[in-house]
Amino acid sequence: MSIAVVTDSTSDLPVDIAKQHDISVVPLNVHIEDDTFLDGITISAAEMYRRLPDQKVIPTTSAPSIGTFLEVYEKLAETHDEIISIHISAKLSLTHGSAVNAAEEMMAKGTRVEVVDTQQASMALGWTAVQVAELTTGGGSIEEAVALAKSAAGRASFIGMVDTLEYLVRGGRIGKARGFVGSLLRVQPILTLIEGEAHPVARVRNRNKGLAELQKMVAEAAPLDKLAVLYTTEEDVAEQIANSISDYAPGGEAVVAQLGPVVGNYLGPGTLGLGLIRSDSGA
Amino acid sequence: MISASAMALEANRDTINALNVFPVPDGDTGTNMLLTLRSVIDGMPNDTSQSANDVAKIIARSALLGARGNSGLILAQYFKGLSEAIGEESELTGEHFAKSIRYASDAAYKALPNPVEGTMLTVYRECAEIAEAAAAKNPDLESVMTIVAEEALKSVQRTPGLLPILAEAEVVDSGGFGFAVMVDGALRSLKGEEPFGREIQVPMPNGTDFTGSIKADFVDASEENDWGYCTVFAIESAEIDVDKLRNHMADIGRSAVVDGSEGIAKVHVHMEDPGQALTAGLAYGQLSNIEIANMDSQASHWASDRREDSETTQSASEKRLPIAVVAVAMGDGLSDLIVSTGMGATSVLKGGDTMNPSVSDLLKAVESAPSDTVILLPNNKNIVPAALEVHDLTEKDVRVIPTRSVQTGVAALLEFNDTVSIDENEEAMNDVVGEIGDGRVCRATRDANVYGHEIREGMAFATFNDDIVSVGGDPQFVLTKLIESKAEDAEIITVYTGESIPREQVRSTAELLEGKFGDIEIEVVYGGQPHYDYLVAVE
Repeated sequence: MSIAVVTDSTSDLPVDIAKQHDISVVPLNVHIEDDTFLDGITISAAEMYRRLPDQKVIPTTSAPSIGTFLEVYEKLAETHDEIISIHISAKLSLTHGSAVNAAEEMMAKGTRVEVVDTQQASMALGWTAVQVAELTTGGGSIEEAVALAKSAAGRASFIGMVDTLEYLVRGGRIGKARGFVGSLLRVQPILTLIEGEAHPVARVRNRNKGLAELQKMVAEAAPLDKLAVLYTTEEDVAEQIANSISDYAPGGEAVVAQLGPVVGNYLGPGTLGLGLIRSDSGA
Repeated sequence: MISASAMALEANRDTINALNVFPVPDGDTGTNMLLTLRSVIDGMPNDTSQSANDVAKIIARSALLGARGNSGLILAQYFKGLSEAIGEESELTGEHFAKSIRYASDAAYKALPNPVEGTMLTVYRECAEIAEAAAAKNPDLESVMTIVAEEALKSVQRTPGLLPILAEAEVVDSGGFGFAVMVDGALRSLKGEEPFGREIQVPMPNGTDFTGSIKADFVDASEENDWGYCTVFAIESAEIDVDKLRNHMADIGRSAVVDGSEGIAKVHVHMEDPGQALTAGLAYGQLSNIEIANMDSQASHWASDRREDSETTQSASEKRLPIAVVAVAMGDGLSDLIVSTGMGATSVLKGGDTMNPSVSDLLKAVESAPSDTVILLPNNKNIVPAALEVHDLTEKDVRVIPTRSVQTGVAALLEFNDTVSIDENEEAMNDVVGEIGDGRVCRATRDANVYGHEIREGMAFATFNDDIVSVGGDPQFVLTKLIESKAEDAEIITVYTGESIPREQVRSTAELLEGKFGDIEIEVVYGGQPHYDYLVAVE
């Protein structure tokens, strides 16, 4: 009985980690003017952030089609008995809906596909998929995998410090952080996802205070199962943060990952963040 | 008798205001006390059938509701004491009077976090002692009050010996003098001596004359229903017909005070259109030192306590919110800034140094806030005590963050998060209050010696957490000196420019400061506050 693990490209899973855990990543679509790209495949993060600030027409994103999911599921069904498909918050994307529809077709054809709405995004989602993959390769059942996906997602946090709220606002993903918009003072907003939508965490007056706040949040969340430092454009700063919080990282090293084109489209250049999962015992 | 006290205060208000120098000469003690007294008079029932006890209770409540500033609040304690002392009896005796001062003294010492001697508190306490002794010998009201009236002035005279800042500034305590003046008025009314309100010489130590007062020839301000703008300016010209100017100003405005000699005249006038006063003044010579303050909200509050529209200028949306914030501030820029930073849950109540909102104003703003849970940011250390009183007067859950300045209030507001609990908000906001240093740059409204610094009228000076750090002719120069002195420990400095600074200077000031202090993050924003050229937050 083998179980395949699927997630989507908003997990921002680095390619090597996805490969190492044999996780299939289904890309969302990025639409820039008349062109459509596959998230992270036909458009790289670097290319996205280079183009983003100058776009007159705001880039949009769309969920993978049911057909795309079906293709992936059918291929996996050739080598696996069951599939667990773990996705971005249904409040942020229709991806979960597409997956559910595809899963129903697969069930009709006799392959069990369980779809989980993590209510998360980025590496909070990515780490959830990794924890599930660790369970399934160790011989866990699909029921155990679903339970773990839900538990891990509940212990996960995606935290982002954005340079500006402009991208979240224009992309319609500002959620409960609406109140942060419009301050006449220069502030760096820090946000997180709670129950699948953006929530305000704090406003800091400069980058240094923001980085200190991120470090404090890591310390408060510890002990951790997983920890990644996220960035859109500033890898060097992300590396510095990773070094400063390595004591809290399992294995003594925090993963540094770049936010992909879809997530980055809503956060914008200059974003720094965290994707983590708290340990079960700590919860 | 209370009316007589009000008349007495009225007659001496400017002197009392002028005595108010501690620590920044904001000159509003007399006004605060007077407005507090007026709210007592307004609150008095016309219905004479009510018992003395009921009337006393009403007086105590309206005093508290109308209390403005520290001095007003301390004064309100006296009326509370009066109500306690009279109890069920119908006539006020010397014993009641003594008891009410004792109550006021005890309550006032308790009401303030750090009671300072050499203030109104000392005058209360010393009067209470002498009143008790006098009442024990002869409980006749007139006899006790005569002794207290004398003692009050003597006590005031001793205040510079207890509070060095008063001695340095060569003044006596303004609130204490205000109390002495009130007792004098009450006593004159008791004896039937007209007028009840007379100008009383400030009891300076060594019998010297207090020189800082403007000539107090106000028209009876009780006739004024609308104070409009308090407009003050100087006119320079080789020849000024001061009498003609005075008559002219009295014609077009109210409470005109015009004084002058040798080519310069100082005009103080209340009017709806301050531009009219300035235009009229221009006919006499060149204008300088122009100061315009809106007094409407103070006066109209006094005129009608039942006024429906509150002074909340920018209200949060009507829908109910989990938590609402009420912040006190003066200045259009600061109001906009606070509303923009307040997560759609914040309303601004006008008020500040020269216009302390009363407990009643604060209560109204809290009551009209669109939530049952309200965070109150007094944003001025003189408003904090009044804000703390709101708690007991409303059913709402009110959390007062003791923000001592508007700069601190903005920093606290940045911690506000409408998606977490009130307790978490209160804790986060309280935490930040201690981390902000308050700087101010303003021009002295009178000659003063503060903390050993000779400050001439019109000179700019900078304070930091109430210490004077720099004095000079130019506010911007003084500002750079202030920042320079704090540069070492500062990470972020926010400068709010006042209404006296043209908006187009906001950017040039920012460029100047950024050029000078490259290591610190400096943000300069338009605050539009009166009185202060710059307000500074140091983090």
